[in-house]
Amino acid sequence: MSPPANHEATFQTWIEEHRGIFVKVARSFVRGENDAAELQQEMMFQLWLSLPRYAGQSKPSTWIYRVCLNTALTWRRGAKRRESRIEPEVDISRLSADAATPADLAGNKDLLEQLYSALQAMQESDRALVLLMLDGLAYREMAEVTGLTENHVGVALTRARKRLATLLKGVTDELE
Amino acid sequence: MNLNDYEAIWKRQEVPVGACVDIAALRETFETKRRKMAATLFARDLIEASAGVFVSAVLALFWKHQGSAGWPIGLAIACMLWVTGAFIRERIRTHRSRLGPDAPMLAKLEAEIAELEHQRRLLLGVATWYLAPCAASILIVLATVLFNAPAGALADHRLLVGGFFGAYLVLVGFLYRLIWSVNRRAVRKQIEPRLEELERLHKSLLA
Repeated sequence: MSPPANHEATFQTWIEEHRGIFVKVARSFVRGENDAAELQQEMMFQLWLSLPRYAGQSKPSTWIYRVCLNTALTWRRGAKRRESRIEPEVDISRLSADAATPADLAGNKDLLEQLYSALQAMQESDRALVLLMLDGLAYREMAEVTGLTENHVGVALTRARKRLATLLKGVTDELE
Repeated sequence: MNLNDYEAIWKRQEVPVGACVDIAALRETFETKRRKMAATLFARDLIEASAGVFVSAVLALFWKHQGSAGWPIGLAIACMLWVTGAFIRERIRTHRSRLGPDAPMLAKLEAEIAELEHQRRLLLGVATWYLAPCAASILIVLATVLFNAPAGALADHRLLVGGFFGAYLVLVGFLYRLIWSVNRRAVRKQIEPRLEELERLHKSLLA
């Protein structure tokens, strides 16, 4: 059954407002622009399929994170047929121009790449939690996305932060 | 540097505002894909359920032709309907137990693991729920035909009948082995590696 018209409007709104979630999850879980673009499209497809079930039972961002992370965790690179892909209209791999100088901007871009590489090197469960942390989700929200208890999220996240700090080499974690 | 610095860089990361894709084209693609998937699943369900019903209908006509002496064919029909019932039960179970992509990660993972374990059991047990009833059904029909053959026909062609049954048993044994090997290979090459991967992920999520 096709989603009703208001779901189509919801889908459009969510894609417009939360596009960053798709981009960041895809970049954290796969290497390469082609794979990232395919994973993004698969995540959007799964969101489309899930929308008829949405009745305001959670925040849109929570719903989207669940869909994106579940899709990323079970996505098999190249296992699916290469569906015709809708190409993005803008180059999405940029840092904001808030940086003081071009050198600053270049340096921050390197650090961002380093962060994504570290994320990709982590265990998937840790990666998911760190991603949620970096996006500023509270423990309660992380618990809603993952299905873990808040206590468990706290413990797992502490461990994941330590691993991230190790991977980023020479970085200290203020929690240590 | 500490992690807070990386967090600040992450937050300053420019992400696209607006859809950045043609939403109408995306919707069209997704709806086409969804309809195709639904049609494929429906066709598969229909074939699996109706094959057994069709064979049962043919057997019922044959029973009518045989008359009351053909009563064992009722058992053959029961075997085929058992297989059809197994397919239908499986479809209903899959439909009820499926969790959408919007489920919490842990629940979704546990559901995927349970589904793979179930698929493994089905594939490894195919001899019990699928092959045996089909083979039994064919055997019952053959036996019914032979025992209802005109008087003396069996005695005249004892060797042929014996040879035929022997060949049937060898063929069934060979098919069983082949199908079981194919299924075992599918379990080993596809299901078990995936199951290990998901169980490792599950363990790390709960660690």
